[in-house]
Amino acid sequence: MGFSVTTLIFAMVGLIASLSTRICFNKGPSANLLHLTLVMTATVCCWMMWAIVYLAQMNPLIVPILSEGE
Amino acid sequence: MNYGDTFPEMDLMRSEKMSFVQLIIPVESAHRAITYLGELGLLQFRDLNADKSPFQRTFVNQVKRCAEMSRKLRFFKDQILRASLPSSVHPGMRPDIELEELEIQLAEHEYELNEMNSNSEKLQNSFNELVEYKIVLEKAGDFLVSSKGHLVDEDRELDEHAYLNNDYSDATSLLELELQPEPSSLTGLRFISGIISQSKVMRFERILFRATRGNILFNQSPADDPIMDPLSTDMVEKTVFVVFFSGEQAKSKILKICEAFGANCYPVPEDMTKQRQLTREVLSRLSELEITLDAGIRHRSKALTSINFYLTKWLIMVKREKAVFDTLNMLNFDVTKKCLVGEGWCPIFAKVQIQEALRRATFDSNSQVGIIFHAMDALEAPPTYFRTNSFTNAYQEIVDAYGIARYREANPAVYTVITFPFLFAVMSGDWGHGICLLVGALYLIARESKLGSQKLGSFMEMLFGGRYVLLLMSMFSIYCGLIYNEFFSVPYHIFGSSAYRCRDNTCSDAYSAGLIKFRDPYPFGIDPSWRGSRSELPFLNSLKMKMSILLGVSQMNLGIMLSYFDACFFGNSLDIKYQFVPQMIFLNSLFGYLSLLILIKWCTGSQADLYHVMIYMFLSPFDKLGENQLFWGQSVVQVILLLAALVAVPWMLFPKPFILKKLHSERFQGQTYGFLGTSEMDSDSEPGSARQHIEEFNFSEIFVHQMIHSIEFVLGAVSNTASYLRLWALSLAHSELSTTTSKILYINFGYDNIIIRLVGLAVFVFATAFILLMMETLSAFLHALRLHWVEFQNKFYHGDGYKFKPFSFATLTDDDV
Repeated sequence: MGFSVTTLIFAMVGLIASLSTRICFNKGPSANLLHLTLVMTATVCCWMMWAIVYLAQMNPLIVPILSEGE
Repeated sequence: MNYGDTFPEMDLMRSEKMSFVQLIIPVESAHRAITYLGELGLLQFRDLNADKSPFQRTFVNQVKRCAEMSRKLRFFKDQILRASLPSSVHPGMRPDIELEELEIQLAEHEYELNEMNSNSEKLQNSFNELVEYKIVLEKAGDFLVSSKGHLVDEDRELDEHAYLNNDYSDATSLLELELQPEPSSLTGLRFISGIISQSKVMRFERILFRATRGNILFNQSPADDPIMDPLSTDMVEKTVFVVFFSGEQAKSKILKICEAFGANCYPVPEDMTKQRQLTREVLSRLSELEITLDAGIRHRSKALTSINFYLTKWLIMVKREKAVFDTLNMLNFDVTKKCLVGEGWCPIFAKVQIQEALRRATFDSNSQVGIIFHAMDALEAPPTYFRTNSFTNAYQEIVDAYGIARYREANPAVYTVITFPFLFAVMSGDWGHGICLLVGALYLIARESKLGSQKLGSFMEMLFGGRYVLLLMSMFSIYCGLIYNEFFSVPYHIFGSSAYRCRDNTCSDAYSAGLIKFRDPYPFGIDPSWRGSRSELPFLNSLKMKMSILLGVSQMNLGIMLSYFDACFFGNSLDIKYQFVPQMIFLNSLFGYLSLLILIKWCTGSQADLYHVMIYMFLSPFDKLGENQLFWGQSVVQVILLLAALVAVPWMLFPKPFILKKLHSERFQGQTYGFLGTSEMDSDSEPGSARQHIEEFNFSEIFVHQMIHSIEFVLGAVSNTASYLRLWALSLAHSELSTTTSKILYINFGYDNIIIRLVGLAVFVFATAFILLMMETLSAFLHALRLHWVEFQNKFYHGDGYKFKPFSFATLTDDDV
């Protein structure tokens, strides 16, 4: 699965999470905005973490060299 | 530039709007009004009598009475504890009683208890003395029987048993033991019998000897059981003694020595029948006393139980009353002495509720005059009040621990809710440990109601207070553990097979040249082939360092963006033009560019050395890049960015102080022009707030402040970015510790012996629980906290506000009693 596909998956998951939070915890406009902020921040953080690790492995400069004890 | 109309406002982002209010309360409804306001808990009173000592205030007598009552209640509590009665769980549901009635009741109960206590003490003393007397009679009787060996007596008994009991002291002169009844015979030999604690017996004997020059005979016999000493109420081992002596002088000496040693002397008649009679009397009195004592204890328990039933309710009531009177002491009497005037802060949304409470108070106290409640202008800044629920409360406390937010400035807690557990997880990413933390957090949350009502130790209380933080920390830990592919440092092929394989089928050069990558990167996380390889550390170090820089630059940019939103909100266009813009330019032209280079290097797989690129961007920007070229036109871009950064520094340093000076002088000059025509009315027509601003504008102070701020930002850009490298350092440490503990387990399981396996398992569990779960968790928590408090918050947060502390019964603690 490529980079863009997984990014889209993260976006979809974020969207679904925000919608379900809006449905389950609907507590007025201010609280809804807060929940939306939290979900978006979490999605962005998780996506960034995954993207960094994925991009770092796309064109690696070194390869695993097994050690003797393996 | 107010976006408030298009978007709904988020309450947690900025503190509640507060209003300074004044209350004018007629005296008859004052107490009730304050009580209802205390129940509501949304008004912070300002102390109008701060300069008066506690004894000069109006309601000092009532406060003293409350303090006296709480002392009595503490006394009751102490007595109940001593009598080891179980504390009542369900407080009595009696109808409310007035404070004066309660006072009288408490005084009565105290008097009763004190009397009961002193009576039982006296009875207990007599009881103990009688017990001693009984023992003295028993043992001394034996001595006297044996010593009357050859006297004429009806009941003369050569008691062998008595001989054996006697410890004859090594008296230098054995006296003739010719004891006679009262009309003393030739020798005038008499005796004193008593009881003394066993530890003092030897010295007692010695001193008696010396004092009487050896002219005594001392017999002793230890009592069988320990007895309660009348004076010290301890159980002491005692010894019965009998001293035979002759002469008046000896008697007085012996008596004095007995007194000095705390020995109790009891008269024992020599006559056997009299002894027996006396013993019988003593025994009967003892049993009577026992019955009386028991009755006394029962009576006391009954009284204490009835007090215990209402004790908690009384305690709460007295606490509340004291708080109400303390608050009433903060109000001022007005000129007519018929009203109390109070000032305070309240949130704007609470105004309706407060007015409702005040109306109720007026009605309930049958007052003719209503309570006046209106808003006023205040000179000082309002307090900061965030309405948090049990989830956001922990995060708000974390932010507040560094500094309370200024009134209505951006609250970092909104983002801290997610970024704090996230950065924690980056530093301690292992989904095995994450699952352990999750179990702990879920347990705390499941037992929320039970643990919330108990009194916990300080460590448990902190842990319980942060249960939602722990929950999020554990969830992010599991996520990061899946990304780092570490389950107690063991990787798994959860998301498919590895992207690396041997070059050929024999795998001959796997140990020298390594594997090759033959397909797309591992879809989620770090490839499992890396674990255990020789090039694991170089790869992971490079990855984690670059990750730290990327995460750090993002968080710092978020901080600067928040400062932009603050400047917009307060309408401070000066800050936007001369602080936000140069800060963004400076940070991003240097470290944003570095992040961009990192991403390009990853995407293209170039072998450029980024250290070299960044350093030579400053040292020799016009040199050819050669093999360090990552994209076309890089040298031109670098020169432009360098120039932009150099321009940004004076941009954030110089214009703002000069413009502030110009603005201030404009305003000052404008006022002077305005008042030319009416110079006499100068002091009357100026509003009070303006009077304060015609302090002199200290240009040098403003300039130095701006210089410090700019230097802090410029140098901080480098140091803060480097500070984010702790994300790399701690995650490396965690991974290494985890590997070591797992290795111990693995080595120990290599043996067949069950004992070695068990020992290995025990060491693994112990090390994981204490070193990794406790120590590493605390360490990562601390470092994530520092990253938030310093690197994130110093981009936008002032944190010099003060907290809203309303007068509320709910926040009264036990210490206030």
